[in-house]
Order: sequence, then structure tokens, then C-alpha cells
Amino acid sequence: MVEKMPILEFSKVALSFGDTEVLKEIDLVLESGKFYTLLGPSGSGKSTILKLISGQLQADAGKIFFEGQVINDVPAEKRRVNTVFQNYSLFPNMNVFDNVAFGPRLKKMSEKDIQDKVKEMLGLVKLSGFERREISELSGGQQQRVAIARALANDPEVLLLDEPLSALDYKLRKELQQELRNIQKRLGITFVFVTHDQEEALAMSDWIFVMHDGLIQQNGTPEDIYDEPINHFVADFIGETNIVPGIMKHDYLVHFVGKDFENVDAGMRPNERVEVVLRPEDLDLTDPANGKLVVTIQDQLFRGDYYEITAVDDDMNTWQVQATNPATVGARVGLTFDPEDIHIMRYNESEAAFDARLESYEDEEAEAALQAAKDDQSQSGGQG
Amino acid sequence: MKKIRTPYLIVMFLILYLPILYLVFYSFNAGTTMKGFAGFSFKHYGELWQDTRLIDIVFETGIVALLSSLLATIIGTLGALAIFRVHRGAVKGALLSLNNVLLVSPDVIIGAAFLILFTTFKFSLGFVTVLLAHVAFSIPIVVLMVLPRLQEMNPDLVLAAQDLGARPTQVLGQVTIPAITPGIVAGFFMALTYSLDDFAVTFFVTGNGFSTLAVEIYSRARQGVSLEINALSALIFLFSLVIAVAYYFINRLNQRQKAPELREKVK
Ligand SMILES: Nc1ncnc2c1ncn2[C@@H]1O[C@H](COP(=O)(O)OP(=O)(O)OP(=O)(O)O)[C@@H](O)[C@H]1O
Ligand SMILES: [Mg+2]
Repeated sequence: MVEKMPILEFSKVALSFGDTEVLKEIDLVLESGKFYTLLGPSGSGKSTILKLISGQLQADAGKIFFEGQVINDVPAEKRRVNTVFQNYSLFPNMNVFDNVAFGPRLKKMSEKDIQDKVKEMLGLVKLSGFERREISELSGGQQQRVAIARALANDPEVLLLDEPLSALDYKLRKELQQELRNIQKRLGITFVFVTHDQEEALAMSDWIFVMHDGLIQQNGTPEDIYDEPINHFVADFIGETNIVPGIMKHDYLVHFVGKDFENVDAGMRPNERVEVVLRPEDLDLTDPANGKLVVTIQDQLFRGDYYEITAVDDDMNTWQVQATNPATVGARVGLTFDPEDIHIMRYNESEAAFDARLESYEDEEAEAALQAAKDDQSQSGGQG
Repeated sequence: MKKIRTPYLIVMFLILYLPILYLVFYSFNAGTTMKGFAGFSFKHYGELWQDTRLIDIVFETGIVALLSSLLATIIGTLGALAIFRVHRGAVKGALLSLNNVLLVSPDVIIGAAFLILFTTFKFSLGFVTVLLAHVAFSIPIVVLMVLPRLQEMNPDLVLAAQDLGARPTQVLGQVTIPAITPGIVAGFFMALTYSLDDFAVTFFVTGNGFSTLAVEIYSRARQGVSLEINALSALIFLFSLVIAVAYYFINRLNQRQKAPELREKVK
């Protein structure tokens, strides 16, 4: 397969404001037509990356490529990139039509083309017929739709969205998440979406960049990042999680909370100190005799579709469990999980090393599986 | 509380308006002084109509006020934009203080300063010097009215316009100026009233051939006020009243037109 040329690429991009290093050596590659998310806590540098893409800020070091061309010095208005801002930022002195027509008018499009464009864009965001409305007559959700239409009316190749939904209530946010995703698929352009809401990132993205302290900690598909976080920060940031210290005795055997457990990770040094991750939804409650771990239930919260249970083991590690049935506070119960539910993180492993290690033993596993399947077949063949 | 509030307000406004009403009342006096009402008559209005000098001065005062507040609004708005863009906090603070010092310094000092300036540069005192002085003392007022609007403006509006491809002049004309228009209008009207009201500064910088209403009334009053002045005051008062009422209705109309749906929702 021929690799498509990336639409946007950062190579060792760095930026400081005075003494604070806001971005340290950012590398990223965006392919055309995908939905990307920058996910990270406040101050991690997400908006700064968007401003570098749009041309509002200049990098101190490194190169930014757009379709293979260096664009560090290309002024903002020459870049085929538009932005949707968190606080909508619609022009209050113009009505909906004039807001959406703002970009096309600057481009001196004919009045007829402008009308068609505005109509098309408002249709796309489901606001047909709102042309004559004043901005003050729109709800928050409608305002954000207009902002999206206004940015898209400029025919960008990359649309940047800086926490566009964070001011909306839960239901509206869900609805607009779905719609944004549909619009992106329909137009086939690249979206770069910024959020600090991990749930939103997991639901919407083709690819997620998890940021912290001006660095990209990990990038990958939502599944990769959820199932195989690279370090404590990512594991903790992406959803509820249990992290306990452990020792990787050898491949596929880990020791934690005083016991050995079979698992599916490999590629560490023997007896290496590691962190062990178990997601709350992968843990099941059972009676103490059948449990792999025995814990005491401390607390329980009803969350609508599940109970969020907090328990402590005899080493005083806290465990979060999601259970469909309620438990009794103070009771001793067993916890069970499968070997594949255990995820191991090494201390200070780089993303490249992490990916290489995963690939190496996953290949091994695939080969083993293939071998097993073949054996199986020859066996059944022998029987027949 | 309510029992006290209503009478309080009535008494307060009565006291505030009493002197003016007293003045207006005597403009209809058939006699020639404010000592005793000799019967109802429009005669002082007739005198006023004959007094072409006074009528000329009314128009000249209006022209000075309109021109000076227009110029001050343009210069002051640009000044506010410039101050707003200063990013160093200390410099910005210093500029603002310089602006405010002009606002609070006594008119007498400003007037004297202008007089010295104009005579040093051998300007002949008259219309131009009055106009220049009025422009000068109105600029800080406009700056003070416009700057808060700029500070309240969502800075992302400018970013959004740039993002959509607007050049700096287009951003200014299509986004920034419309956003601060209420401040500009308020600044203009403040400057207008300050100019119409001004006595002290004008008194210093006006020459032989030229006078404004305030200065003229003052110089006439030294020889004892004729009731013609009462008639003029009554007319100006009526004019202000009409303007204030018109302003109220225009405002209401604008709000109605702008947000009919919102209004319905509130109901
Ligand atoms: N103009 C500036 N001058 C100085 N520091 C700045 C400036 N802009 C941003 N920073 C700093 O850069 C860091 C990253 O900012 P950025 O806006 O990219 O964060 P973010 O990830 O978007 O956060 P948030 O979720 O709060 O929007 C922050 O620590 C911020 O204080
Ligand atoms: Mg941000």
C-alpha cells in the first residue's frame, strides 16, 4: 500500500513563553480526512498546538509541514485552516447569514455564490431557515452550530476545534459530538479537536494524542490508548483505573499484592519493577474463596447503570470496581479478573520503545496463534 | 421602605427641578424682573426673537459643540484603540492616569493653560481657539467612554475575523468598531454636553468677535439678567426634554426590533 502524504506534520516543534517551555519537541503526523483529538489537562499545550497550525503563533524551533511544504513562515490568512472557538465568538453585530458569509465575502465571492454557500453550510449544521436570526436570539448549541458553519464556509482543509462543546450541557454535548463526527465524515476534511474530556475523545476520534506538560505522552486509536496506556499519567487520565506497583517476574508472569498472576505482557527484564493496571469494569466480585484477591468493601455509589464500589486489600491498596449488583459495605469479598485484563506499564518507557515491544510480542502471539490453528486443523484432519 | 421611597423621590426631584421651573415660570412674566409676577405674556419670547446676536450665539455654540465633539470622538476613539493595544501594564497604567488627570483638573487651569499656549503662538482668539480647546478637553472623556467597551469585547472576535482571512483594517471596520459603537456614541454625547456646558475654558480662550452662550449669559448677567434669558432657558430646557424623551423611545424601539423572540420568551 502506498502511504498517503500527511496533510500536516510537526517535526521537533518547540515553543516557549519567556522561561516557560509550553511545547517541548512535538512530533505529530496527521493524515488527510481523519478526526484527530488532542486530549490533555488544562495548560498542557493543546490550544498552543492549534495556534501553531492556524498561524496565530510561530514556533521557536522545529518545522511545520502542510502537504509536504514547510509553512512556518506562511501567514495565517494564507493557510487553508479555520478555527471554531470555545466561546463561539460570533460577531454580535451581524445576523446568522452575515456571520457565515463573513469569510466568503472577504474572498470577494459573487453574491449568488455566497448565498448558496451560506445555505449549504446552514443545512449542514441543521440550521436552515435561521438566516435572519440575530445571534442574541440563539441558544448556546445553535450558536456553536453557526460558528461551525462559519468556519466551514471558508472551505478549510483542516478544521481546528478548541473545546467547542465544553460550554454546553451534557445532552446537547452528546448530540453535537455525533453531528460533528457526521459532518467530518461527510466533508472528508481533517478535524483537529481539542478537549480535556476523555470520554468525548474516546467517543469521537479516529486518533488521539494525549498531552501532558507540553509533551505528547501517547498517540493511538481510542482502543489502543484505553487498553494499553503507556504510563501512569495516561492510564489515570483516560478513565477510572486501578494502578498498583508490581514486579514482572518473567514474560507472562507478574507479581503484585503478594501473589503471582498470569498475564499477557512480555518484553521486560526479569524481575523488573512495573506498574499494574486493572480497569474497574474488568473486575468482578465473587466470594472470598474464589477471588484472586480478597478485599474489604469500603464504599459504594449508585451510578445509574452500575454500582461504583471502592474496596481495600490487605496491603491497603484501593480498588475501584464497577458491578451490576450492589454489595454490602464492610463485607469481605473476592475479586476476579482474566489474565488479558492485566496491563503492565514500565517506568519511563518511551513511546517508540513501548510500541516496538508491543509489536514484538504481539507478533509472537500471532505466530503462536497461527501455529495453534494449524495444529488444530491437522489434528482434526487426522481425525477425519 | 416603600412608604418612604415614593415621597423621598418626589421631594428630591421637586427640589432639583424647582429652580428651573421657577426660571421658566418667570419667562412668561409681563413685568421685567423676577420680583413679582405681573401677568402672563409672551413678550420676552418676542424680544428673544428680535435679538439676532443672541440667536447667532446659540447657533455658534451648537456648531462648536457638534464639531468639537465629532473631532474629539474620532481622535479619542483612535487613542483608546492605541492605549488598548499597549501590552506593558505599567505603560498602560501611566497613559490612563495621564488621561484621567486631564479629566479631573480644574477647568480654570486648563483654560489658563490654553490661553498661554495660544498667545505664545500668536493665535488670534476666537472660533478656532474655542474649537481647539473644546476638542482637547473632550478627548479624555471619549477615551474614558470607549476604553471599557474595548476591554469588555471578546478578544476572540478579532482572532475569529483574522482566522477567516480579514486584514487588520477589515477587522477594525467590521468587527472592532461595531462592537464598541455604544461607547463611541456615549462618548460623543458626553463630549457634546460638556462642550455646550463649558464656561471656564471658553471664557479664557474666546476673543472679541466670538462668544458662546454660557459666556454671553454670564456677561449679560453682570448687568442684571433680563427675562429674555429666562425665555431662552425655557426653550433650551424644552429642547433637552424633547431630546431625552425621543432618546428613550428610540432606545425602546431598537430593543424591540432586535430581540422580539427573546421578549416573548421572557413573557
Ligand atoms: N500568551 C501567553 N503567554 C504566556 N504563557 C502562555 C500564553 N499562552 C499560553 N501560555 C501558557 O502555556 C501553557 C499552555 O497553554 P495552552 O493554552 O496551550 O493550554 P491548553 O492545553 O489549551 O489548556 P486549556 O485546557 O486550559 O485551554 C499554559 O501553561 C499557559 O499558561
Ligand atoms: Mg486551551
